[in-house]
Amino acid sequence: MPNRAENYYSILGLLRSAEQHDIRRAYLRAAKRLHPDTNNGPGETELFLDVQKAYQVLSDPSKRATYDAMLPPEEDVISVVNQRVLISRRELSSLKETQLVYLLIDLSPAEEYKKNASSVPMNICMVVDCSTSMKGANLDKVKATASQLIQNLKPQDIFSVVTFNDRAEVIIPATRQANTLKMDNRIQLIQTSGGTEILHGLRAGLEEVSRYRNPSFINHIILLTDGHTYGDEQACYDLAKDAAQRGIGISSLGIGNDWNDIFLDQLASLTGGHTMLVSQPKDIERLLTEKFATFSNTFAENVTLEYELDEGIEISYVFRLQPETDPIVMENPLRLGPILLAWPLSILIEFIVRPHALKDELVTLIHGQLGIATNVNSLPVPPMPIDITLIVKENISPTVPPPPIIQALSKLTLYRIQEKARIEVSAGNYEKATAHLQRLAAHLLSQGERSLAKTVMLEIENIEKKNTYSDTGEKNIKYGTRALLWPEEKKS
Amino acid sequence: MIVCQNCKSQEPDGTIFCSECGTQLMEINSVQTQKFAENADDLHGTASNVNLRIASENSWISLHLLDSGKILPFSDRKEFTLGRLSDNQPIEPDVDLSPFKAFDNGVSRLHAVIRYKDGNVVMVDVGSSNGTYINGIRILPNIEHPLRHGDIVALGKLKMQIILS
Repeated sequence: MPNRAENYYSILGLLRSAEQHDIRRAYLRAAKRLHPDTNNGPGETELFLDVQKAYQVLSDPSKRATYDAMLPPEEDVISVVNQRVLISRRELSSLKETQLVYLLIDLSPAEEYKKNASSVPMNICMVVDCSTSMKGANLDKVKATASQLIQNLKPQDIFSVVTFNDRAEVIIPATRQANTLKMDNRIQLIQTSGGTEILHGLRAGLEEVSRYRNPSFINHIILLTDGHTYGDEQACYDLAKDAAQRGIGISSLGIGNDWNDIFLDQLASLTGGHTMLVSQPKDIERLLTEKFATFSNTFAENVTLEYELDEGIEISYVFRLQPETDPIVMENPLRLGPILLAWPLSILIEFIVRPHALKDELVTLIHGQLGIATNVNSLPVPPMPIDITLIVKENISPTVPPPPIIQALSKLTLYRIQEKARIEVSAGNYEKATAHLQRLAAHLLSQGERSLAKTVMLEIENIEKKNTYSDTGEKNIKYGTRALLWPEEKKS
Repeated sequence: MIVCQNCKSQEPDGTIFCSECGTQLMEINSVQTQKFAENADDLHGTASNVNLRIASENSWISLHLLDSGKILPFSDRKEFTLGRLSDNQPIEPDVDLSPFKAFDNGVSRLHAVIRYKDGNVVMVDVGSSNGTYINGIRILPNIEHPLRHGDIVALGKLKMQIILS
């Protein structure tokens, strides 16, 4: 671990320019994490005392001034994370019209940390739908994969399993010292019956993960379901927000054709998690194994972007391009998901600038900071500022946006055309929907995506004849166009 | 405000791809359709024993159109699609062969791709109506076929000789 001059600021994860409210917030966060009643890592109680001392000094302006005077000048903060921020344009036109700006943020681990990083222990709960419809190949595959994953657990990992139908049952409670044989037996006994009420399952799963929740672990719930949940969607969203605040992520695998992809996308996105489509039972094994590999390859979990926007500026679309491709719910803070050792985190944000934002010569597009919690360093990472200012001019010189933005948008546009078609279909505008899908198919063909293009063409026929998508079409097109955004290495 | 040339949708200033039809709205030089005017190098007018290699100094490939005698050199891009431009076309080819009687010769709007790959030049027919022929043999669509210097390629009936440098 590289040395970082330890001082009161670094202990609290602050920059020297921090304001009083930043100091207070950082203190509360650290105190909560390190309090002797809840901490469980060696040396954390000592760190807690340091945090107390740091706060006493920094929260008092006169003591802080004396302390600042004796500090050596601030060195460049050794950054734990490399960031690259690209913007589609540096200038806005002063003409009174609405304008779009795209921002691409890439975050990757700094090289020196990459080398030392070891695999992160996990605290995972699998929440498995065991309603009647899961019977057969789907549940068999889930069971087989779970047994396999148990065999690969490391001694420090914590693993639990919850099943649910109309109610939830804890099959394997979260434990530190796992008896894999016993766990395996319990899994094989899972039976199907009843309906799908996701809230029960999530609640029990959250309880299991919370029991051993540890900031230096990956704390995550994996939901596997093949059905719709009725009436408890909002309660599920609230639970997801609560989980996210506690640093617990939710990812989901939707199995077959009948699950509610809009619901699961929203649920996972509220925590920075990932949603996967399982079109055949055999995908279950691959997707779950991949997801577990992602966990142990995590460098920083739950990166957040807290932001303020000036009047007249809106964020209109946020999408995670990698490591996992998902739309991101527009909340504040934005929950961006994980940075992996091997995959940088890459986020594309679309801003709308309204005419009344263009009052001065300069416009602040966004004033924000990235919150990054990582396990490689015992000290918290100071928030990384994201501040973008644009110049307002009468005659702007035409510029070409950076190629990575164009590249990302060329694929993302296809995903968004697919979104439009769905909205048109549900609004009953079938002609518009098929027109959108026609264009999508043409683009797919030109990019050599023949099988996906074929799926789209079949759906055009379906919509023309029956005014609706086929059972599988909607989801296959959605997750198919999303997969276009995967980095080349992942596709193969 | 930008008006999409393809679908006439109105998009806010700063849009890079049309949100309605996905057409790229910003002009980015390297990916624009390359149009060759009638004044392309005219081989037939020059001396009879032309050294094909001098077609263009920086180009890695040139297409010698046999009927008109024109030579089309390519240097910047490592991959390009051949076809012809027409109205209301969602995907435009990189190279528009309309000036060379593409329509009469049965060239599809998006006919074939030529790309430079690991030191070789390959051609792929992307599902054209009238087929692509290399030295008189029709190639299967969507499979890469190697091209050699001097090969005669026909898109439908439009014949051209491949000149590699």
